[in-house]
Amino acid sequence: MKKTALIAIAAIAVIVLAAHYADKATRLSVSGGSLKKSDNSDPVKPAPDFTLKDLDGKNINLSQYRGKVVLVNFWATWCDPCRVEIPWLIEMQQKYSAKGFTVLGVAMDEEGKSVVAPFVQKEQFEVDGGGKSLMNYPIVIGDEQVVDKFGGLFGYPTSVLISRDGKQIKRITGLISYDEIAKAIESQL
Amino acid sequence: VKLAVAIVASILLFIVLAALPSAQPQIPAARDVVSPTAYVSLEPAARGASFQLAVVMKIRNGFHVNAHQASADYLIPTTVTAELPAGFKAGEVVYPKGELHTFAFTKTPLNVYQDKVILRIPITAQPDAPTGTQHIPLKLRYQACNNEVCLPPLKVDVDATVTVAANSSAARPAHAELFPAH
Repeated sequence: MKKTALIAIAAIAVIVLAAHYADKATRLSVSGGSLKKSDNSDPVKPAPDFTLKDLDGKNINLSQYRGKVVLVNFWATWCDPCRVEIPWLIEMQQKYSAKGFTVLGVAMDEEGKSVVAPFVQKEQFEVDGGGKSLMNYPIVIGDEQVVDKFGGLFGYPTSVLISRDGKQIKRITGLISYDEIAKAIESQL
Repeated sequence: VKLAVAIVASILLFIVLAALPSAQPQIPAARDVVSPTAYVSLEPAARGASFQLAVVMKIRNGFHVNAHQASADYLIPTTVTAELPAGFKAGEVVYPKGELHTFAFTKTPLNVYQDKVILRIPITAQPDAPTGTQHIPLKLRYQACNNEVCLPPLKVDVDATVTVAANSSAARPAHAELFPAH
């Protein structure tokens, strides 16, 4: 009887562990259409440094923003919830940039600059109380490596708030809550 | 012995409990959102016969993919393409219209596919089509979102297997539930 119970427990453990590792195995790369699971177990771990090209082909490092509060926003032009956030991000950039804050948009479109640059140059967004505005914050072209450096993503949009001293303070998968993220930014300024 | 059993059982239970949160991810990978299967309207088909391929997309509950006629140019539509081997010709893919739904992230309804949709591809086996079991590779592309998050676009391979008989009298209708008018 005890032996049977032990075997049953062992079998359950093996199944759960197999599911756990199978799940990890399906979340290995952006190009494969799946995104690595994020690790939220340690919310204040250091933000990884990365170097990506902006729309002028210039290298942008995350470390060059050290001393500022940075909201890294992973987005794509085809992603509707990402588009919903853009006016809010524009507003946050307007409101907080003078206090040492910036949004850093990481565009994840497969086609890269060829689709992101025209979007950024032409698309205007209704900003609350401020009429229409272009994206007013720096945009870089993302890749699989930067996603890996952030421990993978569940989906788009994903926003990571980084403190002045380079720590990951908050991570939100999906549409941000304006009030929640504004409060978090203000607490860091 | 009892103590040893209890210790081993406790360790195993600890492993199970530790693994549980990560074994139940909130958001699946894009490839786990749609389960596509291809069906053929004739089994076997025959040289000279026209038949259809149906790609049945089963879409995970709570998720949607953009319809082929997506609501905006910037959205990634669902498409399927056939990589035809010699001896086969394809017609234009017939896509379902889709349904308008509103989601938490948009006030404007979007034309999407949910639950289960069937894409149909008309195929003709030419008189010189190879006989026996043939594979028609299909590429299905879709981009899925739920109410909060979008997953990256994905291209998946779907295999349609068709058996071609030399004699047209050998052709038999199959999967009538998917091909009512065939």
